[in-house]
Amino acid sequence: MLTLGVDIGSLTAKGILFDGNQIVEKYLMPVGYNSKKASEKLIKALMEKAGIVDTDIKNIVATGYGRNNVEKADKAVSEIICHGKGVHFLLPHIRTIIDIGGQDSKVIVLDVSGKVSNFVMNDKCAAGTGRFLDVMARAMETEIEDFGPLALQGENPSKISSVCTVFAESEIISLVAKGEKREDITSGIHWSIARRIASMVKRLGMVTPVAMSGGVALNVGVIDTLEQILETKIETSALSQYGGALGAALMAAEL
Amino acid sequence: MKEEIKIPALLQFKEVARAPYEYLRELKKTTGVQMIGSSCTYTPEEIILAAGLHPFRIFAESQSLSRADAHIQAYGCSMVRGMLEDGLSGNLDFLDGVVFPHACDSIQRLSDIWRLNVRSLHFDLLLPVKLDTPLAKSYFEKVTERFRRDLERAFDVAITEEALIAAIELMNEFRNLLRKLYLMQSQYPGIMKGSDLGQVVEASMVMDKKKAVALLKEWVSELEAGVKPEKINKKRILISGSVCSHPDIHQIIEANNAVVVYDDLCSGSRYFEGIISNTGNPVQAIAGRYTERYVCPAKHLGVGFQMENMKKLIQEHKVDAVLFLLLKFCEPFSFDYPDIKKELEAMKLPFLMVEMDRHNEVDEQMRTRIDTLLEIL
Repeated sequence: MLTLGVDIGSLTAKGILFDGNQIVEKYLMPVGYNSKKASEKLIKALMEKAGIVDTDIKNIVATGYGRNNVEKADKAVSEIICHGKGVHFLLPHIRTIIDIGGQDSKVIVLDVSGKVSNFVMNDKCAAGTGRFLDVMARAMETEIEDFGPLALQGENPSKISSVCTVFAESEIISLVAKGEKREDITSGIHWSIARRIASMVKRLGMVTPVAMSGGVALNVGVIDTLEQILETKIETSALSQYGGALGAALMAAEL
Repeated sequence: MKEEIKIPALLQFKEVARAPYEYLRELKKTTGVQMIGSSCTYTPEEIILAAGLHPFRIFAESQSLSRADAHIQAYGCSMVRGMLEDGLSGNLDFLDGVVFPHACDSIQRLSDIWRLNVRSLHFDLLLPVKLDTPLAKSYFEKVTERFRRDLERAFDVAITEEALIAAIELMNEFRNLLRKLYLMQSQYPGIMKGSDLGQVVEASMVMDKKKAVALLKEWVSELEAGVKPEKINKKRILISGSVCSHPDIHQIIEANNAVVVYDDLCSGSRYFEGIISNTGNPVQAIAGRYTERYVCPAKHLGVGFQMENMKKLIQEHKVDAVLFLLLKFCEPFSFDYPDIKKELEAMKLPFLMVEMDRHNEVDEQMRTRIDTLLEIL
């Protein structure tokens, strides 16, 4: 029997089908403004992709911002718990998870059994989130996929003092006007977000080994700078964006 | 004869909490009583009552701030900015006088701005720098005595010993009733909605005290006579911080099979904890309560005091988790937090800190954080 985990995030919706041992199918799509419709579309698309029908799914657990809008869900669980569970399944030795999504960033500490023991989440502000990188990439006329690799090319990271998305953007405009190199400014941007995240990690109290999940885990520039600041290796998984959905599917198997 | 329709006590409280200033405006119109606002729970309300005046808490009712921004920066305490907006906008047009106990820095500066910009009688209460020291008590006695004289002069009244004793008795009865409600919630979690209890305390802070006592008695006996909730395993939450009047917070907590069993808020238990001795010199007895009860983090000798109080509450009320609700930019609480956090970690007690403005909406991010804390338990 299959279980389904649905993670309706602020920007993307993710779904994972799980058969009790392994991931059977996964799906990712943009949420748009209607998270209820997005969840219906996601579930339908995922079932088509896997070639299954409603009755093949035993339980559905929803997580993420839109968790309470998923009508078909048997239960809604907060994404912090689900991320913990998902990452523990993929990388069982991990004790600290840095999850940076589209609109928020979280640091989650797990106990040895993979249960969430403590967490911290940013306040409503785009600083230190995927949205910050989106805005900055646009300001640097770079595709978001190329933004991290571009940061790695910077030799003298520009100084960006503000962590506020709005002010940082105007700071960047003056750096551009001063003629600083694109790679250096990009590197500076990555240092600025990494410092912000690192302070959250330090406030909570980091326990190694550390992994990163969420969409921003795909950005090598953020990983590289965070590793330097925290002085530890940061692991990622190819399924880092699906951590929440996977955790939800695992919870659904326990219902 | 037409029978008067009796409005249940809880509804009356809720109506006052919905529009406290409307209630006060009406009270002044019908009784002619003069209105003394206070900016903090360190205002000795007994002295105001004994002068025949009406004490109430200025609650920062203004939701959108514009006038206050000309005086206080956006990263100032939203409670203080909201109070100033209430004063500048004419929301408090019924006000006769206002008391500023010098508790935190923000309230002290608010007093200065208020004096220059809002027309009303102005009383500063110069609290000692630290309240939990032996010298503080005798100092605060003199401050309280001086406040008594200031009120007498300003309103041309005599505040007699008899009136002070009567005010002490009334306030003791009033505080005991509020305390009783809290203890009922701790004993029978869920006997009342947390948001209802919050509104009752808030309304009690502005209402005529005799009326409040009568209504509190009524609600207490209704609850006592009513069906007690089943003793199912509800998670017991302690709220710690300054001010909370967000009904949504209670909704989130209660939807997760949990109940706030106690708090140390100044819009909660700090308002009613501590009974005044009704023997001896009444002014000294009043001053005694403020130096002996839980000391606000703006006024304590060190974080150890606050931690001891929290440990006591955790034990007494069998608390499963602590939710810190701090007003954004509230320095006294923010400075204490890292030390308290360490202690709670050592105790292995789950906790969560969220910062909020006086009126901001409880959004998804906050819901996620509170949900997670309760799911961890």
